[in-house]
Amino acid sequence: MSATQQTIDIGQTLMRANAHWNAGQADQAELACQQVLAVWPGQSDAMHLLGLMAHAYGNLDLAIAHLRVACQAPRAPAVYSSNLAEMCRQRGLLAEGEQAARRAVAMDPRQAGAWNNLGILVQEQGKFEESRQCLQRVLELEPDNGMAHNNLANTCKHLGLLDQAERHWLRALELIPNYAEAYSNLSNLMTDRAEYDKAAEYARRAIEINPRLADAYLNYAGVETARQRHQDALRWLEALLDFAPAHAGGLAALALTLKQLDDLPRAVEAGRRAVAAAPENPEAHHALGQVLQANGQHPEALAAYEKAATLPGTAQEKAMVSRAVLHMELGRKEQAQAAFDATTAAFPLSATAWFNQADLRRFKAGDAAIARMEALLAPGGSQSHTDRMLLHFALGKAYLDLGESARAFHHFDTGNARKRPTFSYDAAATGQWLASIAEMFSADLLQANGGAGAASAMPVFVLGMPRSGTTLVEQILASHPAVHGAGELRYMQRIVDGLGAFPQAVPGLAAGQLTALGEAYLARIAPLAQGRRHVVDKMPSNFLYAGLIRLILPDARIIHTRRDPVDTCLSCYSKLFAAEQAFSYDQTELGQFHAGYQKLMAHWRAVLPASHFLEVDYEAVVDDVEAESRRMIDFLGLPWDGACLEFHRTERPVLTASVNQVRQPIYRTSAGRWRAHAAQLQPLLASLGIAAA
Amino acid sequence: MSGGPEREIHALIQAGRYEDAEARLRPLLASGTGPIVLWSLLVQALRLLGRPREALPIQHMIVDSNPGNLAARFDLSEIQLLLGDFDAGWRNYRYRYSLDHTTRIERKVQMPRWEGGRIEGKTLLIHDEQGYGDTFQFLRLVRLAKQRSGARVVLQVNPETLDLARRSDLGADETIGNGELPPPFQMHCELMSLPMALGLKLSDLPGLAPPYLVADPKRVARWRQRLAALPRPIVALAWAGRPTHYNDASRSVTLASLAPLAIPGVSFVSVQKGPAAAADAPQGMALTRLSDEIAGFDDTAAILSVADVLVSVDSSPVHLAGALNRAAWVMLPFVPDWRWLERREDTPWYPRTRLFRQPRRNDWGPVLQALAKALTEIGP
Repeated sequence: MSATQQTIDIGQTLMRANAHWNAGQADQAELACQQVLAVWPGQSDAMHLLGLMAHAYGNLDLAIAHLRVACQAPRAPAVYSSNLAEMCRQRGLLAEGEQAARRAVAMDPRQAGAWNNLGILVQEQGKFEESRQCLQRVLELEPDNGMAHNNLANTCKHLGLLDQAERHWLRALELIPNYAEAYSNLSNLMTDRAEYDKAAEYARRAIEINPRLADAYLNYAGVETARQRHQDALRWLEALLDFAPAHAGGLAALALTLKQLDDLPRAVEAGRRAVAAAPENPEAHHALGQVLQANGQHPEALAAYEKAATLPGTAQEKAMVSRAVLHMELGRKEQAQAAFDATTAAFPLSATAWFNQADLRRFKAGDAAIARMEALLAPGGSQSHTDRMLLHFALGKAYLDLGESARAFHHFDTGNARKRPTFSYDAAATGQWLASIAEMFSADLLQANGGAGAASAMPVFVLGMPRSGTTLVEQILASHPAVHGAGELRYMQRIVDGLGAFPQAVPGLAAGQLTALGEAYLARIAPLAQGRRHVVDKMPSNFLYAGLIRLILPDARIIHTRRDPVDTCLSCYSKLFAAEQAFSYDQTELGQFHAGYQKLMAHWRAVLPASHFLEVDYEAVVDDVEAESRRMIDFLGLPWDGACLEFHRTERPVLTASVNQVRQPIYRTSAGRWRAHAAQLQPLLASLGIAAA
Repeated sequence: MSGGPEREIHALIQAGRYEDAEARLRPLLASGTGPIVLWSLLVQALRLLGRPREALPIQHMIVDSNPGNLAARFDLSEIQLLLGDFDAGWRNYRYRYSLDHTTRIERKVQMPRWEGGRIEGKTLLIHDEQGYGDTFQFLRLVRLAKQRSGARVVLQVNPETLDLARRSDLGADETIGNGELPPPFQMHCELMSLPMALGLKLSDLPGLAPPYLVADPKRVARWRQRLAALPRPIVALAWAGRPTHYNDASRSVTLASLAPLAIPGVSFVSVQKGPAAAADAPQGMALTRLSDEIAGFDDTAAILSVADVLVSVDSSPVHLAGALNRAAWVMLPFVPDWRWLERREDTPWYPRTRLFRQPRRNDWGPVLQALAKALTEIGP
């Protein structure tokens, strides 16, 4: 056989191999490849085809091994390198993939597929601007490439170009009608815009089209998380992990969701599984950091954030913000500020970094930070609904510091108006519900059930309106060696959720059930006490359940913190709460809620015994911290301890919206501060029935 | 939930104790909530107990809870198809290659799947799948696919049915065997995906009625001669399906157990292939064994064309007879394959086929009695 003869045979055999594989006839294709390789070991086209086949059968490592060989031939075409690049990406070998993709586009700059693969490889490494250029190049070569539109949209989203991103996704769907990935990505965008129903619908369609599209499950869970439906989020994550038990993103999201559901042991376990499943995945490390932080493991949490911040990918920004916030919550002001500064230096567009540090700093006239935040809100700045909302709240705080009331409230009004439509809230129904609680917990009912409940003086409840001084009071109490401050616990809420309709279900409870509920609460807090006599639960909204507390925990002490109504509401209005405070994002609704709260507290005052129910005025604490502290310690039946006056030195994390205030010795700047802003508070004042004198 | 009741109930089902499995499960699920694995076991038990209507809403719930569980979707498709819900059933049937043991046997054609649209000027490759019976049953859809798509249709079937498919006018422009190199094509469709692509409904079946396969006239003449001496009625007989079929134990019988069919004056010819072909015949049965003379489905088709009726368990000869529009009587287990639907004694797929269903699990007695009665009624 002459050399020429052999060459012809090889060409024909390769054509046959490709045609068989095209028709899915793997045996015949493989046989033909082996015939070629028998006479020409390592033949590039045969190796390439075997690689594609291995990939189709899910043998990614084998496929990559074949393609590496195929690409070594001197005449291997660009598309082989391009295919190797994409397989490396799928395997997480981003550097090798990028190298192969660059080789492909250098060999053949008109190869759209190679530009596409390079575009997503650099996107996954956080190089968004280059990614955009690559993907735009694809669309110049192939304007109707639906997948390139989808990929470019993803890059635009990372760049904060949300309108462009949406246009490209919609175009992708015009070109590929049942494009599950595009629907899934649109879901994510709609969540960002707080259009939750639309977001859920897009995610649902994505899953319907491709029930194994992991991102669609993550995005569906993301919708539910954003609208505070953590149980539903959990359901979607479990559905994802049902078919992909080692999905790092799924495990990371599971960890965060379990944290929201107060299941910290399982949350930490999920976080650790996420990191184990993908040790180089920054999202996994970040999630682990979040749950470790919630679990009080601060050094480990910090280490997890550091790791997440150094790994290539898209989680760097939030890892840096989380690190700064952790320092802030631990009271390390300088470290926190330095960490925020590092974040905004690396990510000048980071709205979360600006938002989270607003409370930490005291803004001064001409502050460069203000100009930078304003620039993000200017035309050409951030397009993200959430980011803009965060920036408005941060700027409101900044202008309050500067004493520019009108400007401050322009931003608060805008920020609140962006928040308000993201959830449903019925102020009238809430008012009726508050009234029904007072009605249900009559003196007679409390009397009749006097003998029930779990006997323990351990629980101390600090309750009232948010921003009324609950954090300050808790901090003072927790500075006493016999008291542990547990923060805002959701256990009472959990108990109430389990009752069905509240308060209607309460009269039907037998004495034994009341005792069992009290014991369930005690079982939750006992491990927190660490040998101390009292555990403080400072969940403000427990004011709704003061009567129920009396029934199930008759020995518990309740401290109601009071503060000037307008100051309280002003403070609420200026905050974007981490958890839902649905009444707080509209001045009129806020006033209405406060009025309902006042009536309910008047009822508790009338029916609860003074031995177990103490009211403390925030302004009085500010005026004379020692006298009020002694009154509270006395109320708990504890001996006085001077440490209570050093509360601002206490080294313990504070996790609520008040985080930066309690670190300072009390300034008398708080009381009656609203009068300077009366002009901006007209709807609130009207709703509270207060004349703006 | 590992071990515990799950393992115990699974063992009950394995042992065929479906009633006990249900009784064990019901209290565990009485509250209406419970682990998915227990609900799945309940569905399994209900299906094996022949109560698919009760299984259906539970299986829906399982699929809704875990949309990515594709095996659950395939199970749902079988329940839906058994209940005659073709629309949803065919759509979920597409997950048949998403099961743990099937992902690797899916033919990974590198061209897009045809979804029922018009693709004039293009070539559509239609290829069959594993079961011969499936191929015989669904070949009727090729013509409709040709009409709908407007494409040039290349039909690719297993070599054993290639001659039959080529001889019959199925509507394909070209028919080739598996493993042969097809001409260039732009779209493909598995034979069993055609129902989904075409939106096949139960009510469409009369319009797709057999015969659509044609036996080889020369072979028919030869077999007519070969069987000329046998007194009529001549009954073609098959008693065992492919032994590797997942449900073979409940669908196949032994030849010896067919003793009630040994009626004087009735001639039996065996078309049984495979290891079961050599089994001993029951006393008094006038059985002519043709197995060794049958070279392939062309011979079987010719024999079926000469015989008066086929009596068979649920296996490929049933579909061959049906596609030829020859009379066939099918012995069905208590819980039959989805294609035989529920309860009815006829089938919309094949007008000359009669179904003889087990009234109880594992009890062929009443089936054989009914068959014997029917045999005495054909007359010579």
